[in-house]
Amino acid sequence: MASVPASWTPESRAVALAPRALTILVTAAAVFAPLALILYQSLLDAPFFDAKKNAGLDAYRFIFADADFWQASENSFLIAGGMTLIAVPLGALLAFVMERTDIRGRQWIEPLLLVPSFVSPMVLSFGYVVAAGPVGFYTIWTRDLFGAAPWNIYSVLGMTVIAGLTHVPNVYVYASSALKSLGSDVEEAARVIGASPFRVALSVSLPLIMPSLLFSAVLVFFLGFELFGLPLVLGDPEGILVLSTYLYKLTNKLGTPSYHLMAAVAMCIVAITFPLVLLQRQLLKGSRKYASIKGKAGRMRELPLGPWKWLAMALIALWIFTAVLVPLSGVALRAFVTNWGEGVNLSEALTLETFRTIWGEPTMMRGILNTVLIGVVGGLLTVACYTAIGFATHRRNDGWSRFVDYLILVPRAVPGLLIGLAFLWVFLFFPPLTPLRSTLFSVWLAYSVVWLAYGIRLISSSLLQVSPELEEAARSAGARRARVSRDITLPLIRYGLLGSWLLVFMIFEREYSTAVYLLAPGTEVIGAQLVSLWQGGAIDIVAGLSLINVVLVGVGLGVALRFGVRLRD
Amino acid sequence: MSSRIALAAFAAAFAGSAALAQVPAGYPADYAQVVAAANKEGKVVIYSALDTKAAKPLIEDFNKAYPNIKVEYNDMNSTELYNRFIAENASGQGGADVMWSSAMDLQIKLVDDGLAMAYKSPELAKLPKWAVYKDMAYGTTYEPAVFIYNKRLVTGEEIPQDHAAFARVISTHADKYKGKVTTYDIEKSGVGFMFVVQDTKYFPGMKDLEHAFGKTGYKVYSSTGNMLEKVSSGEHLLGYNVLGSYAAVRAKKDPGLGVVLPKDYTLVLSRVMFIGKNAKNPNAAKVWTDYILSQRGQKMIGSDVELYAMRDDVDAEYTAKKLNQQLGSNVKPIPVSSEITQYLDSKKRLEFLAQWKAALAAGSGK
Repeated sequence: MASVPASWTPESRAVALAPRALTILVTAAAVFAPLALILYQSLLDAPFFDAKKNAGLDAYRFIFADADFWQASENSFLIAGGMTLIAVPLGALLAFVMERTDIRGRQWIEPLLLVPSFVSPMVLSFGYVVAAGPVGFYTIWTRDLFGAAPWNIYSVLGMTVIAGLTHVPNVYVYASSALKSLGSDVEEAARVIGASPFRVALSVSLPLIMPSLLFSAVLVFFLGFELFGLPLVLGDPEGILVLSTYLYKLTNKLGTPSYHLMAAVAMCIVAITFPLVLLQRQLLKGSRKYASIKGKAGRMRELPLGPWKWLAMALIALWIFTAVLVPLSGVALRAFVTNWGEGVNLSEALTLETFRTIWGEPTMMRGILNTVLIGVVGGLLTVACYTAIGFATHRRNDGWSRFVDYLILVPRAVPGLLIGLAFLWVFLFFPPLTPLRSTLFSVWLAYSVVWLAYGIRLISSSLLQVSPELEEAARSAGARRARVSRDITLPLIRYGLLGSWLLVFMIFEREYSTAVYLLAPGTEVIGAQLVSLWQGGAIDIVAGLSLINVVLVGVGLGVALRFGVRLRD
Repeated sequence: MSSRIALAAFAAAFAGSAALAQVPAGYPADYAQVVAAANKEGKVVIYSALDTKAAKPLIEDFNKAYPNIKVEYNDMNSTELYNRFIAENASGQGGADVMWSSAMDLQIKLVDDGLAMAYKSPELAKLPKWAVYKDMAYGTTYEPAVFIYNKRLVTGEEIPQDHAAFARVISTHADKYKGKVTTYDIEKSGVGFMFVVQDTKYFPGMKDLEHAFGKTGYKVYSSTGNMLEKVSSGEHLLGYNVLGSYAAVRAKKDPGLGVVLPKDYTLVLSRVMFIGKNAKNPNAAKVWTDYILSQRGQKMIGSDVELYAMRDDVDAEYTAKKLNQQLGSNVKPIPVSSEITQYLDSKKRLEFLAQWKAALAAGSGK
């Protein structure tokens, strides 16, 4: 690091430091304010704004005495564990096939592989109900063809399988980038002595990327605790609760608001997820170290799959069919019919009524517009904020940077649903922010905080690609830090930022749970509207809006591919 | 945004007739001042459990009468409505001018907690006695709780005509109805809870029905729309205690859905409306409330909005009068009174829920 120029006075040093301190303080406030409110609320026996509240541990006592809580915890563990067992091997195998073999059509398979991670879980789950529920389109077709359709998506097993399949991309992304950084020489050695491609994958490639697989396993397990849309849509009618839907159910259990109970459940979830987040961090560090030891990859030689090709193709096709085509075609079909199910002739039920309704409904049109706005404009602002935070820690290895490192992980551990509720409180009871409550700003702030960890990782991976000597050259020529950032680093990472913007756009289009409690006139976004409409039972509108949501994400994906944005870091 | 444009268009189109419509017939002369003040406020903020789409004819008709009062209509579920209203009152930021919800008990509680404004509507004398609470809150509709069934798959004898028959059908055809009966999740839906509490009052065989529910492994939802969708699709066959107003609307355009008004007794819910104590647009709120209670508003409710008009002097497709003629003394309206708030006491509510669950468990043989 270059030394501070002699001409610097203490004042100018303070000026140079101010933006950094400010950035970090604002971030810390945005992260801790809602969290502190949740913690405080969990220690009361009434809403915190109620005059008749008392401090105590009653809320925890209540939920620990509630059989539903334990049932929900058990289901959460089962589903999280089960989906990890499904997603990790599948994701790893797919990564191997895609990265290492001579499989054809890679350029169009890869975007399809990532689709489930960009589509709202609300949309996917709803699609499964319509497509593969007891009287879903595919269920009825299967029954007509084979006499039976031996699956039940409304069960812990069904949800686990669906969650597992739709989380394959999360594993795939890490596994394939780890594979990319491995040289193919060891695999070739295995091939030479006659190992089959499957054997190579199992005995050579995958063990070598074990740290990355472990990391993604922890990630998927952790995401299992965050599941909300899926169990809400598929589990609720059967009375199958997981922690997040149990929390949601508590909204009304006492007849009047039971925020203290919800907050207590949220703290329990944090108690499980925060250690997982920290573990992830440790593993990520480890996996990077591991990969870098392997050094530069030589020219990658593709393994010929030979007759295995058909198996690999079938595996990919089957997965794309179940995880992408089934739910999305279900949504699309439901959006164009008046009613469906057993004994309904679909061709007679065709209609455009749903879209006419949406078109004629100002709140829905506003929801669509807001969703685009929050993705495009909000996404841009968010990337700007994340970049500021990124710069605040870039190439500085002091206490502040380490603080920020942990800080950005905190919101990840709290269910989005409750972060949204806490932000509603902040906007109600923190006077400077109250005028902004019914504006998109509230949703934007909540989204930006929830996706902090994801976004900062995007930004810092761009920043790390800038070689330090370029910045140091400017520093030795006398430029201050701010100047270096503005004139050297920022221009160099502009394509990375553009890519981040697109990814944040897609994430914001898909987000739903965070905005549930912030939903108000002026803050409608499709994601939250879907939850509310689903609860209200306007299923045709849910289908129509879902389809519109998928189209928006699709446009984002199309643009990203067109500009060659890497869809993952 | 587009709503603003639409409303502005209305305002422009009806500005000419506005002067005539200012004071409705039979209202005291000083009502003109209320309307003038309301016009000055320029808008009324409504929180409602009825979705915007369904309320649209009301809003449009209101704007024909009062083109200068913009209606900011916000729909959310009844619990959310309540939570938001108390939070906004606690934070000192008035939110809603008018609260309109099907969770009658929560509405009455808010009135009892002193969050409603006292207002004697000029319509008071014309309203049924049961629909008025403390001159603060008003029942505005007359919506029956009904059974629904899938017309393609449930026919003849199996269509339950009363509560006892419902229990009988699902327990005698246990195999067919296994997992195919649905009702509100009473832990989540305040309305569903309220209906079941009333059922225990009127239906001596409630325990048998609970057992039968337990035996079939019934499915629960927090909303009417979900039940309608699932019964229509055939995923479920029978629905219990479904809000009849929504069911009637869907049944009209959905050939697969059948609706039964139970013959032994039919519960009737009335959406309760009151003006918020801290309303920022109190006069506009009064004008809106009076409109809803008026013959004109009620006629809208009984026709285009399809919620059943509660006034006896209204002729429309859906009215209390027709329902009463059809069912006689078997109509059991849930009273708009503090009697229904007793289960908002969390201890009592949890006890009730525990008993309900125990009865279901006993039925399922667990």
